[in-house]
Amino acid sequence: MSLSVTDLTFRYGRRQILDEVTFDVASGQFCALLGPNGSGKSTLVKAIAGVHRPASGTVTVDGTDTATLGRREHARVVGYVPQHGDAPFDLTVREAVVLGRTPHFGLAPTTQDWAMVEDAIERMGLGDLAERSMSELSGGQAQRALIARALAQDTRVLLLDEPTSALDLRYQIETLQLVRQITREQGISALIAIHDLNHAARYCDQVVVLHGGHILTDGTPQEALDAPTLRDVYEVDVEVHLREGVVEVRPRIDEHGYTLTGSQIGSLADAHVAFDPADEPVGARR
Amino acid sequence: MTATATRRTRPSPPPEPAAAPDRARRRDAGKLLLILGGTVLSALALVVSVTIGTVGIGFLDVVEAVRLRIFGGTLEADFAQAYAVITELRLPRVLLAFIAGAALSVSGVLMQGLLRNPLVSPFTLGVSPAAAFGAALVITLAGTNQLSPWATIGGALVTSLAVSAFVLVLASVRRMAVATLLLLGIALTQIFEALTSALQFTASENTLQAIVRWTFGSVNDATWTDVQIVGAVVLLALPVTLWFSKDLNAVAFAGDDAARSFGVNVGVLRVGLIGLAVVLAAVVVSFCGIIGFVGLVGPHIARLVIGADHRHLLPFAALSGGLLLLVADAVGRTVIAPAVVPVGIVVAFIGGPMFVYLILTRKNALK
Repeated sequence: MSLSVTDLTFRYGRRQILDEVTFDVASGQFCALLGPNGSGKSTLVKAIAGVHRPASGTVTVDGTDTATLGRREHARVVGYVPQHGDAPFDLTVREAVVLGRTPHFGLAPTTQDWAMVEDAIERMGLGDLAERSMSELSGGQAQRALIARALAQDTRVLLLDEPTSALDLRYQIETLQLVRQITREQGISALIAIHDLNHAARYCDQVVVLHGGHILTDGTPQEALDAPTLRDVYEVDVEVHLREGVVEVRPRIDEHGYTLTGSQIGSLADAHVAFDPADEPVGARR
Repeated sequence: MTATATRRTRPSPPPEPAAAPDRARRRDAGKLLLILGGTVLSALALVVSVTIGTVGIGFLDVVEAVRLRIFGGTLEADFAQAYAVITELRLPRVLLAFIAGAALSVSGVLMQGLLRNPLVSPFTLGVSPAAAFGAALVITLAGTNQLSPWATIGGALVTSLAVSAFVLVLASVRRMAVATLLLLGIALTQIFEALTSALQFTASENTLQAIVRWTFGSVNDATWTDVQIVGAVVLLALPVTLWFSKDLNAVAFAGDDAARSFGVNVGVLRVGLIGLAVVLAAVVVSFCGIIGFVGLVGPHIARLVIGADHRHLLPFAALSGGLLLLVADAVGRTVIAPAVVPVGIVVAFIGGPMFVYLILTRKNALK
């Protein structure tokens, strides 16, 4: 197992955000982290990235507990791509990507560091834009520069926090395909927090559904994405189909073009809303 | 798999081209050349600036005086007066102007980078109003304008450092966000300006004059001791900032979360380097009075010339800030000679329009 998260718990003050989260992502696997707003996706990604310190629980990479690593060592093992990277100062794409080498070099980047940077830029298809200023890039290009930065960091684990949320369809698909390709080629473990269920089903090998700080399901897209769970988590009446071997999730529409949401879900005859108290959001239980 | 999924967006990367990293290293070398060029220009400007004044002194006189001062030798009788003017009056003032400008500019780079805001200056956290209040308090308590300069310097330094320490301790204990820190600075600025105004309101004619004169930043009474103290602080601070320039890049360009994921201890870095920045600003303000704009404009000029990478920006900003204040002082000494306009006033006249020009012409300068 490459990335292994065990009993990870995180609190903001007295509010519990993550409650004993446990899951594994194998090497070469691309795992989607799903869940509604406020379910703790972003917090989980940041806790694994070392941005937040968890209250308890362990994160291991290739068998090494990351809590035993120093800051720089940790940064050489786990890479993180934030949702967006708004810099208040202008810098070129190359300058932005070399930031990923921060945990690797001393005072100045070496020839090898620059080679890694150039390689990451080429992989992300930014070769012609390396000298451009970041502020001139489109949203999709800027997002690819952030991923290139994480690639230059050369880590065993790649974490992405909703990198596709602000992108148009083409860049969403390109980004996901690139990450999947890199994951397979490099044999790294990738975890992506994402909102689009169908993208997750199509491009990821594994799906973890987070709800109120708990993991509800964890498995292949077919195993993890079933209609009752999704209705329960998102409070939207959905139907799940298998289309050409890929799971597809759609809101169920009645003859008036209306989809049941929120508390209306309870009136469904086939809702299967089996409400185990343990599944109730931690935030609600307090 | 469907057609859309099988069509890969990018082919596998080609083998590493060797030329690209060389280009990157050459660019680094080019920037080092720029810094070297700036250093040579600064040295020339310092010498030229010494020649400016009512007593006619040539370029070679300055070189000769510096040579005598450093390496010793016999001082010819007909050169004695020029030598005294150069070494006792002009050299300390131009050096203090240059060093003060460098300190404020480096301090500005640190503050802008750490607070991730190109509009902040060394004085954003209330350093200069606190220093002004400290000086004003000492002058008021002494009730005279014939005070030893050390008393006002001490008063200004103690209050400005105490206020900065208060802000930084509060910021780290309460884990303040950057925006909160900026608001705290605004509040402290208002409070200390009000306190100084209150002192001015109750001051006598003599002390009021002394308080107001103190706030005009100037290098008129520069001594070698001033140069040595401020210079020592700058010489100690610069290597420290360069050592952390890589981490500063991570925080300034990638943000706190990403910088942490690169292994940077963001909290300690921010408090430590802001601490260094306010010490630089507080020392300069205490010795020279309030000199605005250098800490804001110096970093922007440097960024336009050499780029935003702090490894090169920090040393270059020291040069740009030093030169800016050097030129401002030279202008202040010549524009209505023999009277001398305080450098704090001149630099605002030069820096203000320059800043407006930068804002209007380079849309990326502040982005």
